Parts: sequence; C-alpha cells; structure tokens
Amino acid sequence: MSFPTIEFAAFFVVVFIVSWALMPHPRAWRPFILLASYVFYGWVDWRWVLLLISSSVVNTVAARVIAGSPSKVTRKRALIAAVAFDLGLLGTFKYFGFFVDELNSFLDTLGLGSPLPIVQIVLPIGISFFTFQAISYVVDVYRGETRAASLGDVAILQAFFPHLVAGPIVRANELLPQLRTPRDPREVLAGPGLFLIAGGLVKKTVVADELARRVVDPVYNDPAAHSGGEILLAFYAFAAQIYCDFSGYTDLALGLALLLGYQLPQNFNRPYLALSLQDFWRRWHMTLSRWLRDYLYIPLGGNRKGSAKTYRNLMLTMLLGGLWHGASWTFVFWGGIHGGALSAERWGREHLKGFRVPAPVAWFVTFNVVCIAWVFFRAPNLDIAFEVLGGLGLSGPSPLVTLPMVFLVVASVAVQLLPEGWWRRAEAWLVARPVAWQGVGFGALLVAADAAVGQQGVAPFIYFQF
Amino acid sequence: MPAGRVLGVVVIALGIAALFNSEAIVRAGEGMEQGTTRDIVLSVGRPLDDVAGAIGLHLPREGLDLAFGQEDKTASGTELEEGSTAILRQGGQAGEEQQPSYRQPSPGEPLEVLVTGDSEAEFLGQRLTDQSPPGLLEVETVARNATGLTNPAFFNWELNAQQEVAARDPDAVVMAIGGNDGFNVEAGGQLYGPSDPEWQTEFARRVAVVAEEFGADGERPVYWIPPPTARDEEQDEIYAAQNRAVEQAARAVPGLRYVDVYSTLNGGKYSDSLKIDGRKVLARQPDGVHFTREGSVAPARLVLEQMAKDYPALG
Repeated sequence: MSFPTIEFAAFFVVVFIVSWALMPHPRAWRPFILLASYVFYGWVDWRWVLLLISSSVVNTVAARVIAGSPSKVTRKRALIAAVAFDLGLLGTFKYFGFFVDELNSFLDTLGLGSPLPIVQIVLPIGISFFTFQAISYVVDVYRGETRAASLGDVAILQAFFPHLVAGPIVRANELLPQLRTPRDPREVLAGPGLFLIAGGLVKKTVVADELARRVVDPVYNDPAAHSGGEILLAFYAFAAQIYCDFSGYTDLALGLALLLGYQLPQNFNRPYLALSLQDFWRRWHMTLSRWLRDYLYIPLGGNRKGSAKTYRNLMLTMLLGGLWHGASWTFVFWGGIHGGALSAERWGREHLKGFRVPAPVAWFVTFNVVCIAWVFFRAPNLDIAFEVLGGLGLSGPSPLVTLPMVFLVVASVAVQLLPEGWWRRAEAWLVARPVAWQGVGFGALLVAADAAVGQQGVAPFIYFQF
Repeated sequence: MPAGRVLGVVVIALGIAALFNSEAIVRAGEGMEQGTTRDIVLSVGRPLDDVAGAIGLHLPREGLDLAFGQEDKTASGTELEEGSTAILRQGGQAGEEQQPSYRQPSPGEPLEVLVTGDSEAEFLGQRLTDQSPPGLLEVETVARNATGLTNPAFFNWELNAQQEVAARDPDAVVMAIGGNDGFNVEAGGQLYGPSDPEWQTEFARRVAVVAEEFGADGERPVYWIPPPTARDEEQDEIYAAQNRAVEQAARAVPGLRYVDVYSTLNGGKYSDSLKIDGRKVLARQPDGVHFTREGSVAPARLVLEQMAKDYPALG
C-alpha cells in the first residue's frame, strides 16, 4: 500500500481512531498496530508478511541468546548467525539474480555459454530497510547499547508501517522506549505532523512526479533523441526529483508517525546546501549514513588504522552502500564516485592544510559531483549513463526545457535556503487556525496534489524498489 | 492538539478531497482490478460524483487540470463500447489483393513511428529505436499505463487514437496492449468473461475499431502486439484469447498487422529468461508479464521483422 492512495487514506483513518482508542491499553494496542502494519505490508502480497515475521523471530531469538548467555563465544555465534540470516535474506532476494547473470556473462566470455538458470525472484518491498534494522538491533544488543526486547516489540520495531517500506532506518533505542510508554491523546503533535504530510505530498506530486514525467524519464529512456540542453536539464532535474521523492516520502512517514504519537528520526537536512561530500552525507539519508558509519565503516577500522586503510574503508563503505541500493553496476559506480570524492576530500584536508576553498566554489563542486553520481543512480545501465554524460554538450532544439520545469528544479534547491524559523512559524500559524479551516486547507491541498499527478496516478516512490 | 481535533481535521480534509475529486475517485476505481476494493470505491465514488457534478463541484478540479496541463477524461458512448461486429467481416490482411505502397524510409526522411499502448509500450519503443537500422526510424513512445480495451470508461482508446493521429500524423503505428484486459465485456446486452468465445469476438471487434482509427482505412500500417505468454496460467489463457482475437481482427482490417510474440518466443512457453544474441538474459519482470529492458529486444525484433514486409529497408 502506498501513502498517497485512496486505500491508504481509508486505512489510516481507521488505524488512527483505533490506535488512539487503544493507546491507554498497551496490551491491546501492540497487537493492533502490529496487525495493522502487516495488513499494510501484505496488501500487495501476503507472503511478504511471512518473510517479515521470520526475520523478527530469528532476530528476537538471537538477541535473547546474546543477552542471556554469559559465554562470549555463544554470544558471538548468535550474532554471526543472526547477521548471516539477515544478509542471506538480502542475498537471496536482492542479489541472487545479479550474481547468476554476471557469472553467466563471465562463463560466456570463456566460451562456456550461459549454463546457469536465470530465475526471476520477486523483491519484497522494503527488504533492505527492515533487514538493516534487524542487523542494527542484534548488533546493538551485542554491544550492550540496547536491551533484548520481546518478540512483539521487535516485530513492531521492524514492521511499524510509517517507516516499513522506505525508512527512516530506526534504531531500537529510538522506538522501543516510545512503545513502552503510552502516548497522551490530548497532546498529539498535529502541527508538525500535518505540516510534514502536506510538504511531503507537494514534494512528491507537484515536483518529483512532474519532473520525472516531463523531463527525466523521456531523456533517460532515450538520451540520443535529446539535445544537450534537455540532457543538462534532466541532469539537474533528477537531483531535484530524487530529493523531493525520497524526502517527500520521509516527510509523510514522519508526519503519519507523529499523528499516531511517535517520533521517527530525521533523514534529511537540506542536503543540497552541503559544502563538501562529507557534509552531504551528514545531511542526505542520514539514517543510512549513520548505519553505514556505525555498522560498517567503524567495524572495518574507520580512520584509526592509518591513511591507506582509512581510504580503503571509505571506498568499501560507499561501494557497499551503493550495492545496498540495488544489484547493478550503476549503483556500484554511484558508490564509487562518492567513495572516491570522500577520499579526495580527506586527502585534501590532510595535505593542503593552509588552502581554503571559497564557500560558493565548494558548494558548486559538491553539488555537481553529487549530480554526476546521480546519473549513474538513475540510468538503467552504464551505457545510458555515459550517453547522458556525453550528451551534455550536444546542440539542438530543446522543447523539454520549459520555464515551469526550470523553476521546479531551481525552487527545489532554493527552498532549502529558507530559514528553519519560517517553517516553525508557519506550523504554529496552522495549528492556531480553527479545525474546520485546517481541514478545508488540507483538503484543498489534496485536491491540488491529485490534479498535479493527473490520470496516470502517483508514481511509486523511487526508494520502494530498494 | 487533542487526537479528536486531529481526527476532525483529517475527516474534513478527506471529505473535501472526496467531493471535489469525485471524478478522480471514480477513475481510480475504474482503473482498479476487479474485486472488492474496486466495488467499494465505485459504489461510494459514483453517487458522490453524481452529486458533486450536479452542484458544480467539478469546476475547481477542472480548472486545476487545465493549470497542470492534464488531459480531459475520454468520453464514453463510442463505437468501442457498442458497435456492430460487421467490422470483422470486411477485407483485411488476407483479403488484401493489392498491397498499399507506403512511403519508404531513408536516412534523410526517416519513418515517423508512434509506439503506443499500455506500460509494455515503454521499453518496446526504446528497443525499436536501437534495434532498427540507424536513421531510418523516428520513434515517439506514448505509453498509457494501466489502460486496455475492455475498460473504456477508464480510458477510451478509440478517442485516443483519433487524437493521436490528428496530433502526430505518424507514418506507422505500433500498438502494444492487453496486459490490463481481463474485464468482462458487454455484447448484445450480455456480459461475457474472457473464457467465453463471445468475449474473444467482442475483443476482436474492439481491436478492429481502434486499428481503423489508427490506420485510417489502411493508409498507414498498424502493428499490433497483444501480450506475450504469462507466468500465471489464468492470465496466460486471457492473453491467448487476445492473441486469437487480434489475429481475427487483422484478417478484417486493412493495414492491421498481427505481431505474434505469444507463440514465437520460446515456442509459446513462458520463461523468465530468453536467449538473445547467444546470451541468456533475464527477459521478464517480477510480475511474470512485462519484458525487462534487455528482454524487450526480442519483441522489438519481431515488430521490425513484420515492418520489413512493408518497408524492406528495415530488413
């Protein structure tokens, strides 16, 4: 079930009413919210729910063993078993086809044909997210950073529907304590919640889908048929599209969770204002960045084992981060560009200490490196990615370059310059209006959002495929 | 804010949205697969839409549609919905004694081809471009996702064909459609399901109606690609019926060419993979129907083979 649909609107109204009615009774509320989350997840294919349940069961058992055993060896074995199970799930559903395909290609180049059977495996939505959350939970229990929880709590931690399919990647110590304390129905954070939902809808329907439909998809479907001007617009338009699509989804997730009384971690903080790649990764998909830092980069040794190993760790982390998005060489390239740029920045900081890059230049370089990497993220294969980059200088008519599209691209970056205080004041103003006016305003926004997407309906969120 | 007030805001907002967006609710319902959700959405949406229309609540949405450059909903009551099967008894492919002479493409004057249909048209259009001899085809792809011929209330292909031909005047049309066509159809006041022979005849009639609009009585060829084999057996049977229907229509309508992807690829048996240029590739998407980008090379080549009969330079 996707957020901006009729089915979800009906689903949410029911969940909202029952959830608040049951809130004073945690024994009843927990099974209810878990069941609701499973209905949400199983709407397309109920078998995915079984997968999610199996992940919760295995990780709960492993965490219990880790927490309850005095033996270091047993604790470590339980951790390894749980992580192996989690990665095994990802490997089977997400990477099996990719590796078979690559192996077939390799054997074919040796003249051995393509002997391995190619089987289409359906990728369960959100598997990358709930798997990373599971790993984070068992590792945190192993490190003593969180207590082992009951099966019900772990299941809710993984399945809580606002963040289930595309994050944010929530840590156990961020959500479990909230589950243990009943929320107060008299103090719902409605202002920020409704504001986030409204913002998320506008980002997704008015900006992301419009840019995709009118500029990005036509160019990436057939770059050779487009001029340099159109390709340049698509180059920047995808940066705007993916930001509005993914942060729009996150805004909806955070807003819906707030209306139910729960706070999820922030995932974006004006990423396109970053003055370095390091800065960008502190602002973009923040819960993935910290996951990669805490569960991959630091365990690999981080920056504690000398320069050469630091560069290796940076590169490995970003390459694996790229591969996490999808089983394709384009994502490996995307991670490689980020890993290479982060390494270059680190080298510069270490070797050019007196040299200071002016802020506008730093911003320009950072933003454009990010946009170059996005080309590989968006392109269906490496050939198309290079065709897009190679086509930037071509001349020719550019009917796709229109004022509204250029405006949407510029506005989606420029809006990040608005001071935080303005948004807070707007929220406060919204909450102070009478209920009827808030409802009318919000309803008008829903009508406009639906008009923006038109007959073709809302496109699936980009991060649903990961 | 208390939860009760929040609920008030949400309910008012959804109420406003439902009233002013009633047309969109009906359209969304019409576009859904048959089942309980569709029935519920339509049983709520249609009366709401009648009331909203009667008191002029459609106007703001129409203004917004205009502002966002959205297309009008296609009207109902056309030949696609109700018409005579006489259209299937005229002379088409088999009866064509004189092959019409179409303008032949050259690098200076490439053939302008409109590739359209449902979501299957997207990759097909892309692959047609890169599989054809360089410079001979100028392909424009217009995919109308989730549409079909058995649900004209949601999207009317007859009217769309008239609009596309008027707007683009292509030299040839490639139509890939059928993946969403599992709906019952009405013919002669009776409802028929995809397993009924009457369904196939009615489907053939609808293909003929749309092909005539695109082909302008044989003035331009229309290459029609019904769905390929499907992983799901029930779906596969519907697709087989569609293929027979298109074959039937092609015998009647001048210029309509049936491209048989269904029984040509992998001997008519469903497979996730196909061997293309000696290499095994993942040819189908997880839904067991759509071709992948790589797999779309196979149907694109079959289309080009068929086109080469009318345009030898493409061979």
